[in-house]
Amino acid sequence: MFVLGFHFPADMGNQIPDELVAEKLAGVDISDVKEIKLLMGTKDKDKEWISYTNKDTFLFRAMVHYFKEENPNKEQKYMIYMNRYQMSAISKRVDAADDETMKLCHNLDSMEQFRIEVA
Amino acid sequence: MAGAASLRQIAFYGKGGIGKSTTSQNTLAAMSHYFDKNIMIVGCDPKADSTRLILHEKAQDTILSLAAEMGTIEDVEMEQARLWGKGLFDKETPGGWINCTESGGPEPGVGCAGRGVITAINFLEEEGAYDEEGLDFVSYDVLGDVVCGGFAMPIREGKAQEIYIVMSGEMMAMYAANNISKGILKYANTGGVRLAGLICNARMTDKEYDLALELAQRIGTQLIHFVPRNNIVQHAELRRMTVVEYSPYSDQAREYKELARKIVYNDMKIIPTPISMDDLEDLLLAFGLEDEVDESQVGKAAEA
Repeated sequence: MFVLGFHFPADMGNQIPDELVAEKLAGVDISDVKEIKLLMGTKDKDKEWISYTNKDTFLFRAMVHYFKEENPNKEQKYMIYMNRYQMSAISKRVDAADDETMKLCHNLDSMEQFRIEVA
Repeated sequence: MAGAASLRQIAFYGKGGIGKSTTSQNTLAAMSHYFDKNIMIVGCDPKADSTRLILHEKAQDTILSLAAEMGTIEDVEMEQARLWGKGLFDKETPGGWINCTESGGPEPGVGCAGRGVITAINFLEEEGAYDEEGLDFVSYDVLGDVVCGGFAMPIREGKAQEIYIVMSGEMMAMYAANNISKGILKYANTGGVRLAGLICNARMTDKEYDLALELAQRIGTQLIHFVPRNNIVQHAELRRMTVVEYSPYSDQAREYKELARKIVYNDMKIIPTPISMDDLEDLLLAFGLEDEVDESQVGKAAEA
């Protein structure tokens, strides 16, 4: 079973608890990131930049991890659809109290393409 | 069973027209190119389109057509029936390689298409194709939804051990996925076949990811990957190439690379728990793919 690209052994079943996914992200260093910038859309006229700065959320940590993984030059990175759908699904459960995060999750659930940068 | 103990025999099943051959070739290309896997493709579709993107050809000669031409299957040579991939997938190119075979089928309206699958696999086993040095994966690309025993042959005879079902969020694709699960369940105890995951080849319809995920969970498996729709797949196909070869740094190549990685490291192989037709319809209702019908209106014309 794969969640956010992490492999969970088959004997853990096909529904991995959110806490176990969060544990995998516990060691992610977010101290050097102030802002996540997401470019939403594919057609130039419709592209939109979204800024996200809520560092206390699961979603922020998951996105920083996604950005840093296999990206030594810290270049803008395409977001794999399934990873961002999984991020959103978990965030909607564990970050539910944060309106800004829920609004971003609503965008992430769309069919639009996303690219990620950090600052 | 022929082949090394470490050989993995996988199969891509799914409803006709769902994009099995495109998805399988792009995924296998990524497994070969990014993960150095050596692969043999056994196309089990009478259309013989399971290998064209790897070979850069319209369609290779099928085993059945070669047998018809030569007189009998015994007269067919391995070199005629099995071709090495072009470009990135050639045996001489660094990284993994892919070789290609197609079973073929009878003239439309004549004979049993499933027999071609049986004949082809027997031929390849007898000719030692499964014993090729360094072979990591055999991949079967299979038509339909297993109502025909011939197309169930890779499952029934224990050839394919792990099955990936290509589906989408459309009703008939989900119906076929559930039906294929029933076929796997039927032979799971005798042949050892297992369901390894659903691959959603997305049509980009509303709630498609949620629906595919829910179906996967209900039948006891995983949604291993959601492949978004992207025009670059069609652009690559016009050149008879996989996206991995046509544009290896494209977004879509990254999607196939991720799916390939998951298949390479996948250990979730289960006996599925197919759902009833009523449960499937309830699922579609719950996700808004079907409108709830007032039973008192069933069978009544619009003007009534």
